[in-house]
Amino acid sequence: MITCPNCKNQEVPGAIFCSECGTQLIEGASARTHEISTAEGKQIKTSDTTVFPKPPPMAPDSWISLHMVDSGQILTLTERSEFTLGRVAEGQPIMPDIDLTPYNAYAQGVSRLHAVIKLVHEKIIVMDLGSSNGTYVNGNHLAPYVESPLTHGDVLYLGKLKVQVLFGEKQTEKG
Amino acid sequence: MPQPKDYYELLGLPRNASVDAIRKAYFKAARQLHPDRNEAPGETELFLDIQEAYEVLADPQRRAQYDTRLPPGQRASLPVVERILYSRQTLLRLKEQQLVYVLLNYAVPSDGGSIVAPPLNLCLVLDRSTSMRGANMDMVKATAIQIMRRLRPQDTFSVVAFSDRAETVIPATHNSEPGKLEARIQMLQTGGGTEIFQGLDFGFTEVQRNLKRGSVNHIILLTDGRTYGDEEQCLKLAEMAAAKGVGISGLGIGHDWNDALLDDLAKRTGGSSIFVAQPQEIEQLLIEKFNHLWQVYAEETSLEFELPEGVKLCYAFRLQPEAGLLTQESPIRLGPILHDQGLRVLMEFLIGPQALQKDGVIFLEGQLSLSILALTAQPEPLPVRLRCGLADKAGSEPPPPEVVEALSRLTLYRLQEQARLEAEAGDIDQASRHLERLATHLLERGERGLAKTVMLEAENLKKDHVISKAGGKQIKYGTRSLLMAGTAKDKI
Repeated sequence: MITCPNCKNQEVPGAIFCSECGTQLIEGASARTHEISTAEGKQIKTSDTTVFPKPPPMAPDSWISLHMVDSGQILTLTERSEFTLGRVAEGQPIMPDIDLTPYNAYAQGVSRLHAVIKLVHEKIIVMDLGSSNGTYVNGNHLAPYVESPLTHGDVLYLGKLKVQVLFGEKQTEKG
Repeated sequence: MPQPKDYYELLGLPRNASVDAIRKAYFKAARQLHPDRNEAPGETELFLDIQEAYEVLADPQRRAQYDTRLPPGQRASLPVVERILYSRQTLLRLKEQQLVYVLLNYAVPSDGGSIVAPPLNLCLVLDRSTSMRGANMDMVKATAIQIMRRLRPQDTFSVVAFSDRAETVIPATHNSEPGKLEARIQMLQTGGGTEIFQGLDFGFTEVQRNLKRGSVNHIILLTDGRTYGDEEQCLKLAEMAAAKGVGISGLGIGHDWNDALLDDLAKRTGGSSIFVAQPQEIEQLLIEKFNHLWQVYAEETSLEFELPEGVKLCYAFRLQPEAGLLTQESPIRLGPILHDQGLRVLMEFLIGPQALQKDGVIFLEGQLSLSILALTAQPEPLPVRLRCGLADKAGSEPPPPEVVEALSRLTLYRLQEQARLEAEAGDIDQASRHLERLATHLLERGERGLAKTVMLEAENLKKDHVISKAGGKQIKYGTRSLLMAGTAKDKI
C-alpha cells in the first residue's frame, strides 16, 4: 500500500492520483496546473524578494535568505522581521508572506500556511504552523507551534520541500 | 499487361485477412456460385475466378508473391492506427493488488481516404411533454428544421415526438418535400407526460426502415424529463439497437432529466449523453452532435475481451470524441472513430497476485471489431493484448505525461461521482469533504466558475443533506467537459 502525502489515505500500488483527495502521488510528470499557478504565484508574491536591484546572494540589510535546494534559487528576505511560508491556493483567504508555489510546493506537500520564520532579539526562530506534513530541521521533526532556534546553514524540510537557511551578514557576524 | 485480378475483392476480404477467413469466404462464395446450382450466364466463370483466388491466397507462398504484384497503396494496411500507452511498463512482484492504467488511442490512418461525410440515417426523438413548453420547444423545432435543411439526398431523416405516447411526425424519408415537412415540425404541440420508451421504440422503427451498412444509423433523443417505470424497456431496446448498429445519444435539457438513464443508453450503444443547461444551448449542442455524425470514419467499435483470473477492469472512460463512461464488461461499445478526432479510452485495471505470470502479465486479451463506413469489405477484428513486464523493484520511469494529464482530469470527475454516491447514501460529511477537495483542485486549474458551483453545493449539502439536481448535473457534466478540453489542443 502507498500512503497519500496529503490526506494519508491508503492507495493501491500503481495509483497515480489519490482517490480520496485527488492529490498526485507520483513525482515528476507534474500536470500543467502547477505551471499556471507558478506564473500567478510569481506575480503575487516573491516580487518583494526578487525585485531588488542588487541580486542575491545577499542584500546588506537582509537577515536571512532561503536557498531552495532543488532549484538552486535563493530568496532574500528583507524589511520585515517575520515571514510566514506556505503556498497560495486560489480562493483561499490564507496568504503566506512567501509563496512557495513556484518551487513545486504543492507536489512536495507544503501546506498553505506551513511555517513561520522570525527574528526575535537577534535570534532566528522557526515554528511549524500545524502543517499537514510537518516541518523538519536537519531531519528532526518539529512539534507544531513550538519555536526552535535556527543556525546558519540549517536545512529545513517543509513537507518534502528542502530549504536551506542562510543568515545575513549581520547575523553571521554575530553568530 | 492486364491488371491482375483482385483476389481479395473477389472474396470480399480485406488484405490482411487470416487464412481461416479466406477459407470461410471461399466456401461461402463457392456454395452460392457452384455450377450445379447456378445456370445464370457468366457465373461459372465467376466460380472459376473464386477458385483461382482461393488457391493463390490459401497458399502463404503464392499469396506473398501475389501481394507484391498488387499496385502500391492496395497492399494490406491496417484500418486504424493504434497507440497504447501504459501508466507503467512493469508491475511489481507483490502479494497485494496493484493498479495499472492504459490509454487506448485509435485514429484514422493518414491514407484513410478522403473525408466524405457518410450517409446519415437519423431519427430525432423529441420530448413534447408539458414541461417542454416555451423556449425549449421553440429551440428544438428551430434546430430540427435547420438540420433538415442541411441534409443531402443520400441522407434519411425522421422525426418522432412523444409524451405519454409517441407519434411519427416525419416518417423516414429522403427529404423530398422539405417545405411540407418543416410545417409538420412547426405544428408540434406540447402536452402530456414523459414516456421515453414510447419515443425510442418509434424512433428505432423508423431508423430500421433504412438500415444500411456504410451509413451512420443514429437516434438522437431530446428530453427534459424523467421517465417512470420503463427504464428497463429502454435499456433492452438500446441493446437491440446496438446489435443492429444503431447508436443512441441523448440530450438532456434542464435539471430534471434522468442522467443515469441517458448515460446508460449511450454506454450500451456507443452514443453519448449531453447536458443542455439552457434552452439557448440546444441549437449549438444538437448541431455539434450532428456534425460529429458526419465525421464518422468507423463505428460499431466493440472491444470484446477476456480477463485472466485476478484481474479486474475497474473503470473505463472515453475521453474522446465525446467524454462518457463506458461499461466494464465485455463487450465494451467504444463509440465512433471520427475523421477529425480519434478515439481515446482510459482504463483502470486492478491486478491481483494470482494473475502474475513468470515474466509478465497479460491482463487483457481480446479484439476490437469495427465497421469502417467507406469500405464494403470489413477488416478482420484487431487483436488487442495488454501486457506488462514484471520486476522486483519499482522502475524510476515516470508514467507518460499524456496518461497523467488524462488521469488528473478523470480524478476530478471521479471525485464528484464519489461525492454524489455518498450524498445519496446519506454520508453527508464524506460527500461534502469530497466536494470541497474537488473545488480546491478546480481552483488550481483556474476553473473558477465550476469551483464556485461545487462550493455552493458543498454548503447546500451540509444544510439540506442533498445535492441539488441542478448543481449535481452542472458539476458532473462540467468535470466531464474538462476531460474533453484536456484531449483537445491545450487550452489556456
